[in-house]
Amino acid sequence: MTALATVPTAHPRPARPWRSVLRLQRGLLIVWSVIFTAGSGALLWAYGPGGSAAAAAWKTKCSVHGCDWSAPITNYHLARAAAEFLIAITPYVAAAAAGALIGRELENGTAGLAWTQSVSPTRWLATGLAVPAALLTAGTTVLVLLHRLLYDAHQVPVTWNWWSDRTFSANGTIALAYPLLGLAAGALAALLLRRAVPALVLGAVATALVHAVLGLARPHLWPWVTRTGSVSTGYNAPPNVLLGDQGAITATGAHVSDTCFTDRTCAKAFDVTGYYVDYHPASHFWPLQLMETGIVLGATALTLTLAFTLLRRRTA
Amino acid sequence: MTGTAAIEAAALGKRFGRRGGWALRDCAFRLPAGRVCAVVGPNGAGKSTLLALAAGLLAPTEGAISVLGTVPGAARERVAYVAQDKPLYPQLTVAETLRMGADLNTDRWDASVAQRVVADGDLNPKSRIRTLSGGQCTRVALALALAKRPELLLLDEPMADLDPLARHEMMGLLMAQAAEFGTTIVMSSHVVAELEDSCDHLLLIGGGRVRLAGEIDELLAAHVRVSAPAQTALEPHPVVESRTTGRQLSALLRPSTPLDTDWHTSKPSLEELVLSYLRNPEASAIETPETAA
Repeated sequence: MTALATVPTAHPRPARPWRSVLRLQRGLLIVWSVIFTAGSGALLWAYGPGGSAAAAAWKTKCSVHGCDWSAPITNYHLARAAAEFLIAITPYVAAAAAGALIGRELENGTAGLAWTQSVSPTRWLATGLAVPAALLTAGTTVLVLLHRLLYDAHQVPVTWNWWSDRTFSANGTIALAYPLLGLAAGALAALLLRRAVPALVLGAVATALVHAVLGLARPHLWPWVTRTGSVSTGYNAPPNVLLGDQGAITATGAHVSDTCFTDRTCAKAFDVTGYYVDYHPASHFWPLQLMETGIVLGATALTLTLAFTLLRRRTA
Repeated sequence: MTGTAAIEAAALGKRFGRRGGWALRDCAFRLPAGRVCAVVGPNGAGKSTLLALAAGLLAPTEGAISVLGTVPGAARERVAYVAQDKPLYPQLTVAETLRMGADLNTDRWDASVAQRVVADGDLNPKSRIRTLSGGQCTRVALALALAKRPELLLLDEPMADLDPLARHEMMGLLMAQAAEFGTTIVMSSHVVAELEDSCDHLLLIGGGRVRLAGEIDELLAAHVRVSAPAQTALEPHPVVESRTTGRQLSALLRPSTPLDTDWHTSKPSLEELVLSYLRNPEASAIETPETAA
């Protein structure tokens, strides 16, 4: 028999695949840092000097005759919209990047190069996802906190509602969960297709699909508050709420759609005794956020389980 | 032969896709440690699949393969593998590629080995991988493999894109590795002549099956090239190949008893042996005793 090539050391230094991930994805890392810094900068500017200028413009320009949108106000809203856009597209960018990069490694065989060093395929995928997940989560957390800071300062209130889609998505935990789902979807797409460009597309489309479905389901993830009004008061929804179903109440207490509108005689004919409106008050913000976050994280876990199972079945 | 086999396969099979054809089927062989083994066969015979299975890149569809006494996935640290197309990250420099090798390995990694292999090829560490020639890429891939100080080195068509001089250098490097550390080397090729001088063990694969496995010396000794008059009965010796030209019969036999003294016999070359088996798929597969799994 031959002698062993080496004598194993007592405490071997483990492999450090995360360093290799950072080295390989240096370009993306720089791009993400630049974009993240720009987004944070825009939010900080809007919170500080931009907001002050906009608020001053708001006070001087808004009169009983209406508002004049001056440049400071426009810039303020642009900065806010840009940051919200950045938070909104992060999941898609994550999905596309994960799909393309993992798909490319499988396509041209460099994944096999890593697996035949001392890193198992499972560990390779886990590291390849954990490093960007940590960076994305850190960056998005800062953006969300800055966005909340700006939102709470409430300096120029126009089109700034807690329930509007972009604002809701940028103000809480779902902004952290969706990028993780994107990464997982991109990874699964890459493992399924083993090619860069199709995986990029499939990852982004799958993320968009989940996002769209959950966007539709979003208001129904927490029980509505129902408020009723009499025939004389009519609809009686409080301000600054997310409105849901509304209609008329008949004498039997049934909720029916309101076909009469303000026509009193029509209402009498249909036996309308009052009106109801379903809504989410601002206090439902966190329950709605946490429910959706939970579902997104569940979907992420499921996607990752599928991805790892697939990888483990294919390799030894 | 006792001790741990470098590779041991039993009823090994691999099919790509549920309805795809079998790339490899019913493979059973044992490769003792410390050998330099040639995996020979025509294109598409299943050589690459076998090496990828041994490297733990693929899971077998049926049967089992063990590497250095364990499953391929558990032997990763001690096995090095260079794929046929030498995949490397094109955006990295040579030096960065070697640093990546250090990061992806435990402290078995010997940076000085990697640097020496690269330096011997006059490679600039600052060159990007995408600017290198095929031969230079092979050298970097080999540097990654050798710096692991592997007990088993799997090379899939390592010489395919090297010029004769580079081939010679590379073979020298590998033989030095085998001699110095007792590394078991398994390399595939469809050019038999390329491996004849440096290998002591043969694994002939054809049509996804093992056709011939054993020490090259023993395999050659077990076969005889025979010239005899036409219509000569060759029984009871198993015939690998026979051809009649005019009144002359020439055949490759695996004699089971002493041969008829009238026949004119000669020793076949390795290439003749391999070609005879490949031309005659119905000839039964043989394994020398020590490699029978």
